[in-house]
Amino acid sequence: MRLDKLHFLLALGTLMAVALPATVWTRASATRLTESLGKVSDVATASAANEGYCSGNLKQILRRVLTSCGLIQGGGSRGCQPLQARQVAAMSGGDFNSLFTPLAERAAIIQFDLDRADLDPAAMELLEKTFADQRGASYFLVVSRASPEGSVEHNRELSRHRADAVLEHIKGKFNDPELEQEVGLLWLGEEFAQLDQEFCQWKHSRTAGACTTAELNRSAFIAWIDCRL
Amino acid sequence: MRRLPTMLWCRVVNPQSFAQERGRAVGAPRAALVAFAIFALLGVVFSAVSTYDFVAHLDRQVHAITCSIVPGLGPRDASGTSGCHAVLMSPYSSVFRSLTWGGIPIALPALGVFAFLFFRGLDLSLRRCVGRNETGFLIVAALLPVATSAVYFWISKVELGTVCTVCAGIYGASLGVLGAAIWAHLGAPRADAGAGSNAGQWLLYFLEGCALVLIPVMLYMVQKPAYPDTLARKNELRHPEDRYGVMLKSKGAGSVPAIEVLDPLCPACKAFSQRLAASDLGRDLVLQTVLFPLDKECNWMVNESLHPGSCAVSEAVLCAGDKSGDILAWAFAHQPELLATGAHGQGEVFSRLKQEFPELATCLGQPLVRTRLNRSLRWVVSNSLPVLTPQLFVRNRKIPDEDTDLGLDFVLARTLENATGARGEVRP
Repeated sequence: MRLDKLHFLLALGTLMAVALPATVWTRASATRLTESLGKVSDVATASAANEGYCSGNLKQILRRVLTSCGLIQGGGSRGCQPLQARQVAAMSGGDFNSLFTPLAERAAIIQFDLDRADLDPAAMELLEKTFADQRGASYFLVVSRASPEGSVEHNRELSRHRADAVLEHIKGKFNDPELEQEVGLLWLGEEFAQLDQEFCQWKHSRTAGACTTAELNRSAFIAWIDCRL
Repeated sequence: MRRLPTMLWCRVVNPQSFAQERGRAVGAPRAALVAFAIFALLGVVFSAVSTYDFVAHLDRQVHAITCSIVPGLGPRDASGTSGCHAVLMSPYSSVFRSLTWGGIPIALPALGVFAFLFFRGLDLSLRRCVGRNETGFLIVAALLPVATSAVYFWISKVELGTVCTVCAGIYGASLGVLGAAIWAHLGAPRADAGAGSNAGQWLLYFLEGCALVLIPVMLYMVQKPAYPDTLARKNELRHPEDRYGVMLKSKGAGSVPAIEVLDPLCPACKAFSQRLAASDLGRDLVLQTVLFPLDKECNWMVNESLHPGSCAVSEAVLCAGDKSGDILAWAFAHQPELLATGAHGQGEVFSRLKQEFPELATCLGQPLVRTRLNRSLRWVVSNSLPVLTPQLFVRNRKIPDEDTDLGLDFVLARTLENATGARGEVRP
């Protein structure tokens, strides 16, 4: 009889020892869940890149340039001519070029032969490599130029052909459905914002031989812009 | 004539046989019964730890879990990379997942079983004489945790490819109770033919065991938090269309369109894929995959690489074309190795990939695949998704992140039910 009672007490004690913690743990979870319902998630939301160099002034100018160049919805026709670029930028050629200084790591200069708009293999390789390195950037700028040889009108057309050559190659190679909203073209001919000797330090497609400003301006300057506008 | 000791539960056929067996009847079984109780207590401790870790996750938050053979002494796993975490989050850690959020943790009835065995061992240890009818029951009862442990060990090794340390403690305790029960049985005196029927006694014990298992389970069901509808947020994809051609080919023979967003080197994504593959409901889906590596080499949205090397592996998956599923499965299987390699730089991961898949060498690191991977990330941006993996969308509606682990089956069942009920209203 004594052991029967012990048997019963042991059974009851064991049941309590199992049921009590299970109940306490479960209720604690329910309480924590209730407390957590009102909290806002601290997980970041995926977004395009917006680097530190994207100051208010830079964004304002970029917006004007990109709207005029047809990149931003509601903008006019595609591409900017030298006169338009000068007007929308509302700044000197030197200041315009200095806009791109923070992009040194993201930019490249695609070089062409004199009076030609054909991409050579080195130019294609650098263009593809640079375009593929989009990361979180929203806009790809192509700013083409011509060296001073020849007439102003001819150089204007020549630089336009160079910009088009870059765009066509990207279109053919990458088949990007958003290309129209990403790539902005500016052709400057010889009239505005010629590249100076400092840009020899930047990535360019012809590295053999001396770097002259004339060769540097037979080019299309390309860069991804890591700014949200 | 010498007087026999008083016995409550066993009778001896005759004084001669008692004299032959008294040594074992009084000595060896007592030690065996104490050993039985100790192993059962170990089982109680390990299954209680496992139950605690499971129940903690009912709040739908992330918790570190115990992953040590000596609970409380070893470090707790907060990274989600241990075998303990993989097993806890696997579809095998609980039952009835479609009926209740998270299901009933298998460790909870295990806790009841071990508690019952402990109770039996303690009860018998306190008696002066224990017959074979008692020890026979111990053997039968001990076979339950042993058989369950064998099945779960097989599942761990074959299905999950890992064994959790706490589970190993349970397996060991199961073998221990069986061994001790056999020891006690061999040392116990044979029961008298007139000792009465075992059936009634065993039925009583069986009912006690059922009570110890079922009462905690019922209390758990009553106390566990209900699924609040506020968690079923109506987050829908803004741009589900695959404009960039970045989604990996559909898998599954189901009919309900679903999109999973994952990182090939994310342990939680691997566990999630396993859960989805093992779920009966997952078979109703036709699943497409968007890669979202949380590696700063290609992902500008993270400052530090959570899964170093995953950009390179993602490129390999995209390069593989029709065989992308094979590369993804390989990456899941080699996650620890690839993450360790990635910590030394992306270049080493590329080398490893080229060594394993030489046919991808001409594609890896090239502009085309880099652009494609970038578009995969931009698909995530265009839908303003949170920067985390994994994520699952069924009929473009998000399964809450809190429900992609233990609550997957329950929430998926409800989502599929709703999708079927409102088939005409949801976008295909």
